[in-house]
Amino acid sequence: MIDPLQFTRGILGTVQNFTLMVFRAFRYMMVHFRVRESLLEMDRLGVGSIPIVFLANLFAGLDMALQFSVVMAPYGATNLLGKVVATSVIRDMGPVLASLVMSARVTAGITSELGMMATTQQIEALLVMGVDPVDRLVAPKILAGMVMLPVLSVVGDFLGVLAGLAVAMFGAHVPAPLYWSGVRTALTLPNLVNGIAKPFVFGFILVSIGCYYGLRTTGGAQGVGRSTTKAVVYAAIWILVANFLISKLLIDVWGWKL
Amino acid sequence: MIRLENVTVAYGSRVILEEIDLEIPTGKTMVILGESGSGKTTILKCVLGTLHPVKGRVLANGQDISTLNESDLLRFRQRMGMVFQEGALFDSLTVGENVAFWLWEHTSLSDEEVETRVRTLLRFVGLENSIDFKPSDLSGGMRRRVAIARAMAAEDPAFMLYDEPTTGLDPFTSKSICDLMRRVQREFTTTNIVVTHDLTDAYRVGDLFTFIKDAKIIATGSRQDIEHSHDPFIKTFLSLDS
Ligand SMILES: Nc1ncnc2c1ncn2[C@@H]1O[C@H](COP(=O)(O)OP(=O)(O)OP(=O)(O)O)[C@@H](O)[C@H]1O
Ligand SMILES: [Mg+2]
Repeated sequence: MIDPLQFTRGILGTVQNFTLMVFRAFRYMMVHFRVRESLLEMDRLGVGSIPIVFLANLFAGLDMALQFSVVMAPYGATNLLGKVVATSVIRDMGPVLASLVMSARVTAGITSELGMMATTQQIEALLVMGVDPVDRLVAPKILAGMVMLPVLSVVGDFLGVLAGLAVAMFGAHVPAPLYWSGVRTALTLPNLVNGIAKPFVFGFILVSIGCYYGLRTTGGAQGVGRSTTKAVVYAAIWILVANFLISKLLIDVWGWKL
Repeated sequence: MIRLENVTVAYGSRVILEEIDLEIPTGKTMVILGESGSGKTTILKCVLGTLHPVKGRVLANGQDISTLNESDLLRFRQRMGMVFQEGALFDSLTVGENVAFWLWEHTSLSDEEVETRVRTLLRFVGLENSIDFKPSDLSGGMRRRVAIARAMAAEDPAFMLYDEPTTGLDPFTSKSICDLMRRVQREFTTTNIVVTHDLTDAYRVGDLFTFIKDAKIIATGSRQDIEHSHDPFIKTFLSLDS
């Protein structure tokens, strides 16, 4: 039986602790910015992830263009393929896909790394040496996430659009120039803001959730496994929640313009 | 000086330490003896301020630790060295980087100066040749010695805490680690707390001794005091070891 009072208290506690950690991390970023650690984290987080983001977007782009052309062909609307593919890639698919793939890689990596450190007393050792783990470990990772996710996501967008071109040319027989002019009309301000704001937020989500559950790990190797699973699942869910909320917010700001 | 006054620690309703009073004069080594699970590590955690007692207070050189906020606590710990039960070396860093860590974080020494100091410290513990190894490539005893070097890296350590520094090591390594702890104490006049199960090592490093059992201190004093104690638990403990 779940006690509703205890359950609510648990959730509130989590929200509070998470918020405190995040605020501390941002304060450390302002007070003394760690250049070396941040660059190192960006390298670890971003560069190694390029191949998987590449592959994920390639195949998702291929598939999406294929499905769209099947739907649009009967209406003779395949000349719009470029615009439709680019719009959905930039606004939604690119950021979400990159972030979900990254949460499997990055969130899991961060949680198990910090979880391992917590269970082997390395986090305590940091504290004992007068260093706040949020300062040394969490802040550079969060920053790296917020910088690298947009970058990866743009790379992914580009590949998704390119995959769409392949389908357009060889599947739907849309000439390349027509496809490209469609793509160009999709590069509007609302779309671009959408495409950058989302991965920025998602990067924050997937790293900070990983850090939070990593630092709070107890109970040895089994505990590390438990935290990791939890972090990856929550990160994925919150990415999708945030995706909807940001879409809604930006549509409210700009109206139904594309 | 480290002083625990009336310290009580509990996890939920389970009392781990009950109204502990303990005083370690400056420059002395207090050895804490007791069964596994009796709360020895817990005492160290209270001194470090990573665990807050539900009652009582911990004073270090007159400063009440529980009144410090998070950032003062971090600053306070900069003069504290702790050797963890399992070493707790940062496994993503090399031996040299582990020892350099404190210097990187709290000083603005140049890379050369840091390296010189790290080499000196590693020479002190006899591991200068392992400077580029990762902790996972070291034996248990070597790891413990790196942990000691790392704990000493603070420019002027005032307190050193050792959690079972010799457990599971061969007699030779144990002795060399005990000698090392003595040397640290002499060199820096540190106030030390050593947790151990091993009576031989306890006598090697200790000035004062404390037994804990069932959440309480049952005896504390010099070697003579302990050896002449009439407490059945202490008598058994001492006789089992010899
Ligand atoms: N986080 C915790 N939650 C609940 N109980 C705990 C926690 N940490 C420690 N304990 C309990 O506190 C008691 C004392 O633990 P402590 O680590 O201080 O023992 P110890 O004397 O250092 O033992 P050992 O010699 O085996 O290291 C143990 O019985 C342990 O079960
Ligand atoms: Mg212990």
